[in-house]
Amino acid sequence: MEILEIQDLNVKFTTPIGEVYAVNNASFTLNTNETLALVGETGCGKSVIANTIMRLLPQNAEISGNIFYKGNNLLKISDREMEKTRQQEIAIIFQNPTLSLNPLYKIGDQISEPLFVHKKISKKEAFNKTTKLLKTMGFQNPSKSYEMYPHQLSGGMNQRVILSISLTLNPSIIIADEPTKGLDNELVKDIVEEFKTVNKINNSSLLLITHDLSLARELSDRIIIMYSGDIVEITKTESFFKNPLHPYSKILLNSLPERGFNPPKGNSPSMVNIPKGCKFHPRCPHKKKICSEKIPPIYSIDGGNVRCYLFQ
Amino acid sequence: MKIHSKKIARYSIALFVIFSLNFIIPRLMPGDPITNLLGEDYVMTEESLQELREKMGLDESLPIQYLNYWNGVFRFDFGYSYHFKGPVSSIILSRMKWTLMLLIPSILFSAILGSLMGSLSGQKSSSNSFKALTLIELAFYSTPTFFLSLIFLYIFSFKLGLFPIKGFYYSGGIFDILHHFFLPISIMTIFLTSRNYMIMRGSVIQEKSKLYVVYAKAKGLSDRQVLFKHIFKNASLPLLTLLALDFGFILSGALFIEIIFSMNGMGNLIYEALLSRDYPVLYGSFMIISIMAVLANAFVDFLYGIIDPRISDSI
Amino acid sequence: MTHHIEELKKLAISKLNLNSIGIIIFLLFLLIAIAAGIISPYNPWQRFEPYTRPNSSHFLGTNDMGNDILSELLFGARVSLIVGFGASIIATILGVTVGIVSGYYRGMMDEILMAITDIYLMIPRIPLIIILAALMRPNFWLIMLLIGFLWWPTTARVVRSSTMQIRDTSFILSAKSLGFSDKHIILSEILPNINHVIIPKFMLTIASAMFSEASISFLGLGDPTMKSWGMMLNFAFMKGGLINEMWWWYLPPGLCIVAVVFSLMLIGFSLEEKENIMLGLE
Repeated sequence: MEILEIQDLNVKFTTPIGEVYAVNNASFTLNTNETLALVGETGCGKSVIANTIMRLLPQNAEISGNIFYKGNNLLKISDREMEKTRQQEIAIIFQNPTLSLNPLYKIGDQISEPLFVHKKISKKEAFNKTTKLLKTMGFQNPSKSYEMYPHQLSGGMNQRVILSISLTLNPSIIIADEPTKGLDNELVKDIVEEFKTVNKINNSSLLLITHDLSLARELSDRIIIMYSGDIVEITKTESFFKNPLHPYSKILLNSLPERGFNPPKGNSPSMVNIPKGCKFHPRCPHKKKICSEKIPPIYSIDGGNVRCYLFQ
Repeated sequence: MKIHSKKIARYSIALFVIFSLNFIIPRLMPGDPITNLLGEDYVMTEESLQELREKMGLDESLPIQYLNYWNGVFRFDFGYSYHFKGPVSSIILSRMKWTLMLLIPSILFSAILGSLMGSLSGQKSSSNSFKALTLIELAFYSTPTFFLSLIFLYIFSFKLGLFPIKGFYYSGGIFDILHHFFLPISIMTIFLTSRNYMIMRGSVIQEKSKLYVVYAKAKGLSDRQVLFKHIFKNASLPLLTLLALDFGFILSGALFIEIIFSMNGMGNLIYEALLSRDYPVLYGSFMIISIMAVLANAFVDFLYGIIDPRISDSI
Repeated sequence: MTHHIEELKKLAISKLNLNSIGIIIFLLFLLIAIAAGIISPYNPWQRFEPYTRPNSSHFLGTNDMGNDILSELLFGARVSLIVGFGASIIATILGVTVGIVSGYYRGMMDEILMAITDIYLMIPRIPLIIILAALMRPNFWLIMLLIGFLWWPTTARVVRSSTMQIRDTSFILSAKSLGFSDKHIILSEILPNINHVIIPKFMLTIASAMFSEASISFLGLGDPTMKSWGMMLNFAFMKGGLINEMWWWYLPPGLCIVAVVFSLMLIGFSLEEKENIMLGLE
């Protein structure tokens, strides 16, 4: 059953250097208890989608389309309703856990903050709930950790603090925006374990935004590939790794270490001078005449969806 | 509460430099050091210069004079004022309480007003009404306190007759003092509020783009809660630092108000000393103001250590 | 969400306006200062009947000495602006030098320079200038030099932190690895890239210097041969302009100080704020 449905989402930014089309005609659904990975290179618009769902984009963003959460269009509800939705219904985790925390407050107080904002709860209850969460996230001495400040903890520990925060109100959806970017392998392994723990205790849907295909394989049920603001492929994770459809997906897969670590050739497209037609055509080994003229529609092929004329 | 040892060293050096400056200036300047030290009032009239030199120890070598000078400083002996007829340190101390009575309430009021208005304005920095407010505050910030005092004195005392023209306390009763202090404190508060407003606005604009602010919003806090539960505390740190660093400047602002309102504080003391070229009082005031500035800095460091946990950990 | 775009456009327009209001006011006073000799009705030292009210031959009346107040005001622009500019140039050169050296070389040099800066910052500047000016007989150049040599530390701090920010960027590192000298890197790589912090700071320092000159002159410590706006205020206050309600005497010089300082702050702050907002978008 779908819990989040995104229809024809377009996001455009007006900047001093011109208009930037960050997301174009994106449509996809997130099902209950599903982990959906949104994969692409830096700047392809995947984080913009995350921030659009949370309505956290800066004022120079122009948004059109619909985002239905449990039947309500998140782009239409009032600010007050959106505030209630954040964290209680949908929680988000940002790339940099240490910078996400306020340096001047104890981590315990930052974990319990959503409890006080959204619920009427006594200090004692909040403290108990916080220490319990800290314990499940692997803090040995929760009441001592409660008193610590972000700068006293490692990045990995702060990541667990952030995960604890996202669990305080048992949201239906957790969005994780690049949770492993810039981390070494050991920490990535820890995070994979932590997300599995989260999944066990919370039973929520996870929208995992990442550039890391191995992480997506480890955690996700389905996978979405984005390229320069366009969704180019949506498939089951399993079949994606067996048989990727889009030429870009193939190139991405070949960049995995076990496939010889061949990074994609050519440059990722600039956000301002966008190629006409299929945005991938300048780098595509299979390009045809039509590719540089018209953006291909999405074709459905045995369970998968792909935006490429090869599947016409 | 631990205090940074490096800071203590820095403050001690600062005081050492300032006090040494105070020793060097009268001896380095053109003209007779004796005139530079005692003031023109006195030297013109009494005793022969040679006698005076001996009495002041000015015929000693400079290192000996320097030691004697420090000896005086540690006994809180800043010399004798022939114009005011009394030891400089006690003259200054008796005047200082009036200056502090003007300064402290103004600093408190303006801290509250300036940081509240400045943070609201910083959060909604593109709103036109806050831009208009910014222009008004900037205009007050551009107005020297003595000029604002002249205008206020003219409007409220001369034209409307609401307040006394001179700030002297007549009967010494509490209402009388309040009556006399109302205008000066208002002017000082307006001036400092505009300053705090500009600092806080800039600081909030800088702070609000940080990730922890976006995350606080993502936790479901309203804009107001994000501002007052998160941004405010972090953004007020620069305000605190600048309050201490500019303490001399802030105090000078108060001194000018005292001069216009003929109040009994240090401002008029310095002004009278200046007009009669009573140098001992000028040197003494400079030293006392320096000590106050250093103490203000130490106090802010202490507050900073309480507010920002990263500081106390770095010791 | 289209109204956000409208808001952004409005923001862009009014930002431009705020900055240009400042520039227009400032240029106006600059023009007055340059052309004072041409546009001024009289020599500011020429004597007429003292204490006259504003009339057709003296738009702002005359002062206690019988000098034409309007002429004094126009020539005063020159004195006040020269002090402000001169002091700010000295302070900016010193501050930028100290800031770049300590931000670029770091280490011991940085420690020492920043310690000196911090100590400098703690010296109460106005009281120190009062003492020095009182001892040395009022002189226009002296006051400019004193302000210049006392006003550099805040510039040094700002410049240091921006130097540190770009010191580790890839283009500086590559310039280093290509073997360019430190002098070359500082002058042609770092300096042009921190212009955006130096220029607003320079403007704000002129404002602060003019503000301080006015305060010092108001105490009667100004140069008697060069009448600045602060000195005009001092005479108006001392010679009974206020008590006799001669607003034409003390109001114009005060308003001129406020207007110039305001225009400079407007330019400085809107440049700084634009910087902050641009950073916020990244």
